Amino acid sequence: MENMVVKIIQIILSPILALVVGVFFLGLARKIMARIHWRYGPPLIQPVIDMVKLFCQKSVSHGFMFDLGLILSLAGSIVVVLFLPLGGIAPLSGSGGLLVILYIMLFAPLGMALSGGQGANPNISIGISRKLILSLGYEVPLLLVLLAVMTRYKTISIVEVVSAQQSTAWSFISFPLFLSGLSYFLIFPAILGIRPFDTASAPQEISSGPMVEYGGKYLALATIEHAFILFISIALFVNLFLGGAANPVIFFVKMLAVFVLGLCINAVFPRFRIEQAVKYLWKWPTLLAFLGLIINLAMRS
Amino acid sequence: MANKYSLHAIYFCTGCGIIEVPPVITARWDAERFGVIPVATPRQANLFLITGYVSVKTLRAIIRTYEQMYEPKYTVGFGSCPINGGMYWDSYNTIKHLDKYIPIDGWIAGCMPRPEAIFIAVTHLWTLIDKEMANGYIRYRENYNSYRRNQELALGKLDWPPLFPVSDEPQGNEQ
Repeated sequence: MENMVVKIIQIILSPILALVVGVFFLGLARKIMARIHWRYGPPLIQPVIDMVKLFCQKSVSHGFMFDLGLILSLAGSIVVVLFLPLGGIAPLSGSGGLLVILYIMLFAPLGMALSGGQGANPNISIGISRKLILSLGYEVPLLLVLLAVMTRYKTISIVEVVSAQQSTAWSFISFPLFLSGLSYFLIFPAILGIRPFDTASAPQEISSGPMVEYGGKYLALATIEHAFILFISIALFVNLFLGGAANPVIFFVKMLAVFVLGLCINAVFPRFRIEQAVKYLWKWPTLLAFLGLIINLAMRS
Repeated sequence: MANKYSLHAIYFCTGCGIIEVPPVITARWDAERFGVIPVATPRQANLFLITGYVSVKTLRAIIRTYEQMYEPKYTVGFGSCPINGGMYWDSYNTIKHLDKYIPIDGWIAGCMPRPEAIFIAVTHLWTLIDKEMANGYIRYRENYNSYRRNQELALGKLDWPPLFPVSDEPQGNEQ
């Protein structure tokens, strides 16, 4: 019974934790980007101010699916958070593991696509098609990387992957998984949609793509969704390759390190065109991930 | 309150004035520390900055952009030309008084103003928002009849439906 109560508390707590950390990361991103540009930058709570303003604004819906798609993608992201172990807090990660995460991670871009389709703006169509092409680009190496991890630890459960790393060494610095880890890090900006892979939401080309019709509370929800995606992809990397953590604080410190590294990439690279992005994603990260998988298979037998 | 410190600006650079905007939003003067960031679409914006002269053709785009923004929204005219025509005071195809067609909350005079003037405008806009004097969007709603009539006088028949219900009876504030 007590176990049940703890689990329910964790289920309520972990999305809130993910949201707070994700929004904090958004604020930090703007501040760090400003410092890299030699600017002073906005206050750290600027995303919160923006969100309060957006929720106060009047907004117009473009139809039933416009609302529902956004909620679908938000719900998908929240469910993924429940399946991720966040440094000891792991409400549902005992059941399902990596395969479930792979399935539910697709909800976020799909919901956005459904919602954007109702917006009926040509910029949205271009943005959505670019986003889906990009996810086609990074899903292939991501799948190979996850296969390599599952092969190495002979399990599909993330909790077991984390505990195996804590008893030995981080898989990022151990030999058979190093290539896979590198490959995940190379596709990491594409999963997040930051530069050099921000073709889907390029403000200068297609007026911020799928977000073009979002304003008011819709934009606020889309920002929250972005914060969740930021959190999920970093947390997945930390869990699979940096050994997770025994308590949430160390976990978030590790996430912060990965995130700042990603931001530096974001700050210095210009944007790929979509076909250049797919060409890149299907060349180096896929090659590395494939090699990593073969090495793991060979070492296993 | 949050409106004050989170002004998402859409810049309508009609001719001149475009060169004053990049230093403001990038490293030289960094508008982001005031919470002012440029956005790409009117849906996300709540500050509309119109720089330089307004021709009859661009007026159409300005009105449509303004009507797509969500309330509360603020408008600032940048430079002499939107105020009273400036050096184009006798031009045949330039709009002389922009505030006949859409409500303006503040003006930045000068030809051209320095980029820092945008910050003076932003801090002044904060004061106006505090005193609830930046009420252009309310004036637009209340006097939509006369605004719409002025727009039709300048542009001929408008090919978009009215934003608010219009009546044929004349209201106050006729131009």
